[in-house]
Amino acid sequence: MEVKILSEKFDIENAHLIEVAKEHGAYSTLDKLFSMEPTEVIDEVKKSGLRGRGGAGFPAGVKWGFLPKGLNKPIYLAVNSDESEPATFKDRYILVRDPHMMIEGIIICCWAIGCHDVYIYIRGEYTTQVKALQKAIDEAYEAGYLGEKVGGKDFRIDVTVHRGAGAYVCGEETALLESIEGKKGQPRSKPPFPAVEGLYGCPTIINNVQTIASLPFIMKNGADAYKAYGTEKSPGTHLFGISGHVAKPGMYELPLGLPLLEVIEKVAGGVWKGRKLKAVIPGGSSTPVLTAEQAKTVTLDYESMAQHGTMFGSGGIVVLDETVDVVKLVENLIHFYHHESCGQCTPCREGLGWMKKITQKLLAGEGTIADINLLRELCDNIEMKTVCVLSAACTMPVRSYLDKFRHEFEAYAIDNISAEVELQRN
Amino acid sequence: MSDRSDLIVTGNTFVFDEERDAEFERLIKRYPTRESMILPALWLVQEQEGWISAEAMAYIADRIGTFAAKVYEAATFYTMYNLTPTGRYHICVCRTLSCWLREKQEIVDYLAKEVGVVPGKVSADGKFSLEEVECLGHCGTAPVVQVNGEFHEEMDVDKMKALLATLE
Amino acid sequence: MAEMVKLFVNGEEVEVEAGKNLIDAIGAVGIEIPHLCYHPALGADGNCRMCLVGIEDGRPPLVPACKTPAQEGMRVQLDTEKILKIQRDIMELELINHPVDCPICDQAGECKLQDYYMAYDLQESRMRVPQVKKSKNMDFGCGVVHDQERCVLCGRCVRFTRQITKTGELGIVNRTDAARVNIFPGRPLNNRYALNVVDLCPVGAMTSKDFRFSQRVWFLKKDQGVCHGCGKGCNIYIDHNREKYKDDVIYRFRARQNDLVNGYFICDEGRLSYKLENENRLIVTSINGSEAGFEDGVQRIQLELNQAKRPLMLVSPNSSLEQQWAVKRVATLYGAACSGYSDAYVKEGDGDDYLISDDKSANRNGLKILDIDCDKESFEEALQKCDLLVSFDNDLFMFDNNSEFKLLVESKKILAISSHQNLLTQASIVALPVSSYSEYEGTIISEDNVLQRFHAAVHKNEVQNDILEVTRMLGGAVRNAEQAWPGIRTRVSVLADVQPDQIPAEGLQLRESEEAHVSA
Repeated sequence: MEVKILSEKFDIENAHLIEVAKEHGAYSTLDKLFSMEPTEVIDEVKKSGLRGRGGAGFPAGVKWGFLPKGLNKPIYLAVNSDESEPATFKDRYILVRDPHMMIEGIIICCWAIGCHDVYIYIRGEYTTQVKALQKAIDEAYEAGYLGEKVGGKDFRIDVTVHRGAGAYVCGEETALLESIEGKKGQPRSKPPFPAVEGLYGCPTIINNVQTIASLPFIMKNGADAYKAYGTEKSPGTHLFGISGHVAKPGMYELPLGLPLLEVIEKVAGGVWKGRKLKAVIPGGSSTPVLTAEQAKTVTLDYESMAQHGTMFGSGGIVVLDETVDVVKLVENLIHFYHHESCGQCTPCREGLGWMKKITQKLLAGEGTIADINLLRELCDNIEMKTVCVLSAACTMPVRSYLDKFRHEFEAYAIDNISAEVELQRN
Repeated sequence: MSDRSDLIVTGNTFVFDEERDAEFERLIKRYPTRESMILPALWLVQEQEGWISAEAMAYIADRIGTFAAKVYEAATFYTMYNLTPTGRYHICVCRTLSCWLREKQEIVDYLAKEVGVVPGKVSADGKFSLEEVECLGHCGTAPVVQVNGEFHEEMDVDKMKALLATLE
Repeated sequence: MAEMVKLFVNGEEVEVEAGKNLIDAIGAVGIEIPHLCYHPALGADGNCRMCLVGIEDGRPPLVPACKTPAQEGMRVQLDTEKILKIQRDIMELELINHPVDCPICDQAGECKLQDYYMAYDLQESRMRVPQVKKSKNMDFGCGVVHDQERCVLCGRCVRFTRQITKTGELGIVNRTDAARVNIFPGRPLNNRYALNVVDLCPVGAMTSKDFRFSQRVWFLKKDQGVCHGCGKGCNIYIDHNREKYKDDVIYRFRARQNDLVNGYFICDEGRLSYKLENENRLIVTSINGSEAGFEDGVQRIQLELNQAKRPLMLVSPNSSLEQQWAVKRVATLYGAACSGYSDAYVKEGDGDDYLISDDKSANRNGLKILDIDCDKESFEEALQKCDLLVSFDNDLFMFDNNSEFKLLVESKKILAISSHQNLLTQASIVALPVSSYSEYEGTIISEDNVLQRFHAAVHKNEVQNDILEVTRMLGGAVRNAEQAWPGIRTRVSVLADVQPDQIPAEGLQLRESEEAHVSA
């Protein structure tokens, strides 16, 4: 089932070194690139149907098209390498195993959008990865693929690596820009959108590492070759991260559109320890959970996920076996989002902490049915009332657990009569 | 997150060493505004000292030409900046979803009970400090532990024991 | 006239100013959109989420009013169940970690959380888990005291120090519900406008060390006034109260919005200058050091003036235009020289390019427009020649300036008509108390040539007379401020068309070229 487009060089020894990468085709698309008009490049990317791989899935070429024309301001590219959504760990492989594929992608993007200054925002936790990335960039400068004359062409590109320092919210594109500007990572209100007013008040494109790294393939083989993978509306491949209770967790490149259960079985070795499947988180911790029943019919693409009331997200699949205590899992989830709330908007700042404490109260055996109802109501009260979607990233999954596994919450409630009856019976 | 706003005032002046000073000057040229240097400069301090004091923040603010309150905001917002001294080995255990599902708690309990280092504290001998951190992005090889920035994947108590044995 | 657009609020058509955000645009026609973080002087931030409104057929259908410009045909929903629920929900979330300690909170009575709770919430607390604990009673410097637990993190104070004073002492540190406002260790508030954060704070998180616990705000009478602390003429509220068995006392000044003069703010010195209205006042008339009746005092002044060969009258740059005019007229009546010399009021280099002037007098431009000579040399000459110095509330030795004249002045016979005790009242034969600016009405012209009218706010138990009453008793024709105007209008061309009761609320900008002069 696996395919090797983005991950083509991942298993080649030392492919992170520029010499090795070049032997395997790195930077081979530049001649073709520079022979094309930037608009032609944008059209080709649009045609490929490449969708942003950060989680939102917005078509990359369309995003580029939002840049205003004829502005007398620099255009910036910010490469989002902040991947912080729990269960997401795909970009890291690109940064470490094939960074030159991403740098080549950066060159393609810069040519297409007329950008000369690039910031790669990498999450602070990627301590060893940032070193590897910087080394690759230094090599690219050395080899003339970055700097004043990229690939000998009279076209300048400077790439600067900017390290985050422990803030999930900086994966949100405007928080990321704030962070580069030296501020707290607090998302900006939109409009204006970054394509119009982004970094330092200038037009800015923010693309995920994987999105950028997909460009060399499209440039080399054409949009049609890319579209040959995946489904009509969700073309191409994706680096899926499969974690949790499976026998072979890991990162796998797969075309979009495969049946979820088949992937879990055939690619990830099935549920570990011979246990039964309880549920699946399909695209990172913020996506609503799928029951084992729902998992039977869903395929790994944007459309099928939407039909099942959830999202493709970042492609971070988490498998939950029958032993999982959903209430404890929800506490773990809310703990994360509460910890990561930027503290800007009232509902998210105050509400997530409240939700966490209510869940903890339940776990401590002090909660009531009313607390469960309150928890459920707070999901609605908080969601979509804020500048960004961080709080929704918490409330959407929590609501799904409450709705699909309510009995597990009720089992913790002290005024749960059926539980009491059960207790007496024993 | 717990309150990080109570800064440590050492009473000593802070300056970058020669290497960081040069790095600061190199990096600041990469940005159109000086304030963009707040995060990189905080990293440089942490690299030099292992943690960040009030004096270091004031130094950065003055050097950049911005308000100390802005540096203070950034230093307390981004949780990877250590605002207190750490142990010689700073252990970060990922506590989030996939690591939690794959029993990270056993490692934390082991460290607390057998090694005597509890989250948020430095061990009595100053050798270890432990922090339970949110997702480290190594979910496919969970549970994951970071020691002084180095990743150790697919951990369990036995591997943790073996790892600690290698630390001086 | 600004461009107007028609839009609908709850289905009703209203006409509002185009381009303004919905809070201001709709607020101007009397419809409130609740908000905590937005402030017109600091712009929209969008963090409190209290101003979320529905836009029928809008994309998106839910927007923060502070960030949404009024547009033609827009259908704004404020009263739908959805919006009312959002307001209730946001209020609930604002309050879960709030101490709700209104009985001991200084802000009670002028607190947005209280007001909005009554207007938009009114539900019982559902908070049954431990609250977030933060610090209280923090000294932020400049007389500002902070309570982190009461704070709603609207960031107005932080934005004020960054955008307005550009001193940046404040920040919101931490994140999530651990976020709090703080100063950097060892770098407290250190600017001359810091106390504005107390006005700006919509809740009881920022309080003034000077004011707190002195009065419950609902007992205060809040009158409009104009600060006389310097030449800027900043608009203020004079908050005063007569407690049972006590005198009418001012407890604080607050900034009052005037876009032409001071915007939304005032300086701390001006704010705290209310104390000067309460303290060190000249209360009783004295003649040769002995207490006397007011009328006896005036008679003695009249006698001295009649006997003097070369009297010199000193007009105050702090007096109202009407008072200055009346004194000038009386000087003519007695053949006295008339000087407005008042260099003592000027603190060279003390001002800034914002709301603080070097000149600590409120109406120097009144002297100019009335052509009262303020020249130092001609004053010195007149002083040397004179055999009687009559000061109408001119504090000749303010800020210990003018010591060069001290001996000369003390060698003269002095009559001091004064609101406050000072060196002149001490050296005078007659010290005659008069009212101060919070107690009379009048007009002044700021150093930026804005003509402003103000009214009496404070009514002391022992009512002091206006300078106008003194000049009347000395034979002048002006009985009250209004009566000064026919004369002023005739003689001052630039004021020829001015009706004092028709001066706009924000004042009348006199053009530079029109400044001056009394016609011959």
